[in-house]
Amino acid sequence: MTASLRSLLLRHETILGVLLILALIALAWQSDRFFTADNLLNQGRLMAEVGLVALAMTFVIVTGGIDLSVGSILGLVAILLGVFWQNMGIPLPIAMVLGILVGGIAGLVNGIIITRFGVPPLIATLATLALYRGLAEGISQARSVRGYPDWFFTLGQGEVLGVPTQLWIFGLLALIAAVILGLSTFGRATYAIGSNAVASRFSGLSVDRTLLLIYMASGLIAGLAAVIFVSRVSTTRSDMGTGLELDVITAVVLGGTSIFGGRGTIIGTLLGLVLMQALKNGLALAGVKGDGTIVVIGAVLIGTILISNIFRKDADG
Amino acid sequence: MTPLVALKGISKSFVGVRVLNSVDFDVRPGEVHALLGENGAGKSTLIKIIAGVHAPDAGEIIIGGQPAKFANPGQAVKAGIAIVYQELLLFPELSVAENIFLNHAPRLSWGGLDWAQMRDKSRALLDDLDSHHLDVDAKVGSLSVANRQRVEIAKALSQNARVVVMDEPTASLAEVDVQQLLAIVRRLRSRGVGIVYVSHKLPEIFALADRVSVLRDGNYVATRDIKDVTERSLVAMMVGRSIDQLFPKEEAQIGAPRLELRNVSHGKAVRDISFTLRAGEILGVAGLVGSGRTETALTIFGITPATAGEILIDGRPVQIRSPQQARDLGIAYVPEDRGLQGLVRPQTIAENISLTVLRRLSRAFIVDRGKEVTLARDFIKRLGIRARGPGQAARQLSGGNQQKVVLAKWLAAEPRILIMDEPTRGIDVGAKSEIHALMSKLAQSGLAILMISSELPEVLGMSDRVLVMNGGRIVAEIDRNDATPETVGAAMTLVRDQEAAA
Ligand SMILES: Nc1ncnc2c1ncn2[C@@H]1O[C@H](COP(=O)(O)OP(=O)(O)OP(=O)(O)O)[C@@H](O)[C@H]1O
Ligand SMILES: [Mg+2]
Repeated sequence: MTASLRSLLLRHETILGVLLILALIALAWQSDRFFTADNLLNQGRLMAEVGLVALAMTFVIVTGGIDLSVGSILGLVAILLGVFWQNMGIPLPIAMVLGILVGGIAGLVNGIIITRFGVPPLIATLATLALYRGLAEGISQARSVRGYPDWFFTLGQGEVLGVPTQLWIFGLLALIAAVILGLSTFGRATYAIGSNAVASRFSGLSVDRTLLLIYMASGLIAGLAAVIFVSRVSTTRSDMGTGLELDVITAVVLGGTSIFGGRGTIIGTLLGLVLMQALKNGLALAGVKGDGTIVVIGAVLIGTILISNIFRKDADG
Repeated sequence: MTPLVALKGISKSFVGVRVLNSVDFDVRPGEVHALLGENGAGKSTLIKIIAGVHAPDAGEIIIGGQPAKFANPGQAVKAGIAIVYQELLLFPELSVAENIFLNHAPRLSWGGLDWAQMRDKSRALLDDLDSHHLDVDAKVGSLSVANRQRVEIAKALSQNARVVVMDEPTASLAEVDVQQLLAIVRRLRSRGVGIVYVSHKLPEIFALADRVSVLRDGNYVATRDIKDVTERSLVAMMVGRSIDQLFPKEEAQIGAPRLELRNVSHGKAVRDISFTLRAGEILGVAGLVGSGRTETALTIFGITPATAGEILIDGRPVQIRSPQQARDLGIAYVPEDRGLQGLVRPQTIAENISLTVLRRLSRAFIVDRGKEVTLARDFIKRLGIRARGPGQAARQLSGGNQQKVVLAKWLAAEPRILIMDEPTRGIDVGAKSEIHALMSKLAQSGLAILMISSELPEVLGMSDRVLVMNGGRIVAEIDRNDATPETVGAAMTLVRDQEAAA
């Protein structure tokens, strides 16, 4: 039944939702600074970059792939933004677009390595993780770029109607991603490829093209996240985004996307993302050290996946 | 004689739907006990209960007189039960030897794997199956379906089983291979092994079985000695009615050439193929496994694009470099391996059927779920797919019903040229004649059908013309009126002998 399948898929998200509410209550009770509009909006601001990249990563993981290079792409684009604008004198708006496009090209390169040469995504993007970071470091020569014009900071530090600018962008893209993955023919192809790439090809789906587009989108969106990142922290450094991929993948997997492909939703990713950010912030406010927070997030990840697996077995008979 | 395995009053439900209802079944040493029934009757489910994959909701399993409960398949293996599953469960990335000895690899004194012994034993087992050409180091993923089946059988044999359960073992084998398998089964029987044998091919049952049991809709119908039944009475027991015509071939108006191949080649498997397929025609392709029939189909369908020669559709030369192009040109291919190439098993029936026509079912890239479900409902009715509804996962369907879903998926694309690779593999007698009737009807409506089949009666019964392939070439083209088991069979094997002599 579609209904029973849907309730099956929803189940992981239901568990997550309940968990999220519990966490929010516990955290609000722990610290009275947690549940304030200021804090929550600020957390939203901090979450936007990981969140943006997680949207594309959901697609990537649903196809059964992975993209480890997103953090390095973010670093590379951040550096190039500074170089384009300061060293090459390109007007900032154009430099921003160019930077994002470079992100897209980096993603496309991943896609080409994976589809044309049949390199497993884990290995391909592990290699480009090193490559893109190396490029970023080589280009930056350990210098940082500062002194961006004021208007540029509206993106990362400003607000529209009282809500951080980047949350608007994130919300819009999340909606688009949810529609594409959940309702469109492209989304169907994505799920089918993740479940059985051979049968997808035999059904006349363009498997390679779909994968190329997805990896390219992953790079583009990492580029966009880079621009927002630079705008938020007012400066450009080559180590930006280091380890970002792990946060992103954690959010996606926490959200119920199967690392084996074929299963996952944008809603799940959003819940996973918010839960992760809430834990990070709440625990920090409660005085837990960074290491402790990581342990808690790891435990929550394993816990939710175990619980939803138990439910799934039951439903399968 | 105490049975090796006896099942008493077994019931099983999935998500509230009863699939087996108080079924009795037993196997004695040194007998072949055939289990028959329509697609979805519950045969595979019963077998999975014997195998410890599913636990029964009610009833008991008795092994050698002792009640037993299997918590997992490992315990059934320990109790001497080996299963050759219908949907092959091998690991494509592992070698033949690794697959055979997956759970019980021979060990060295310090606990490491004894590779030499593992390979030797695998070799011996495969030789025992007359599969001398099968390389024990080859990756299973690179093997043909028939060879994978042999690996699966060798795996079962390697466990020194006292009971061997075979779920449609010959569904994917060509006639010669079937004969070899039957010989193996007889050899096992004479060693005192008890064999449970599931098949939709009645001639095999009569050649092999000592007793038959029939299931219908999860209910136990009867158990009989083979000498007490006829083909007709068996079919009637299975279907609940009698089937009058086995190959309902009807004359169709044969029209203009639809698909023409001129000296098409791809590597060594497809050599210099030329033929013409006309509208309204059913062109049968016979040949042994490995004769290049499937490879030719894959070339036409753009999976392995032609490296030489010319393909014409409606008299116009076309380039087919991918399955998308083939589909857009009106070609459909119902593949031979439904698990790997045909179905996206975790997805629903509706999602599988719509896969070929997503564009048509969508508006502005958004899939119209209403239309999708309606389409699936139509096909469930039209092909008699036994399922809870369009939303059931394809993986949960019985083998034959999965095959129908693959067929539905391609009929949905409304092709002008339909290539069917083993179209009725694993499909029960009743449904088979329905599919044959459907093929006749499709041909009458002007569809051009290329039918690859290893089942000679099917080829002879349904084809207007028969192409015989061997060693990647077409070695004979025989008209319906001249096609007999002798003429076709001779062409299938003749050249092989010549090549062996050369
Ligand atoms: N895991 C499952 N969940 C839900 N339903 C199932 C599951 N496995 C099997 N079924 C259902 O049980 C019924 C019996 O299936 P089974 O595979 O035993 O049939 P079969 O007799 O082996 O048919 P075939 O000849 O086509 O192989 C089918 O209707 C099938 O849809
Ligand atoms: Mg079955």
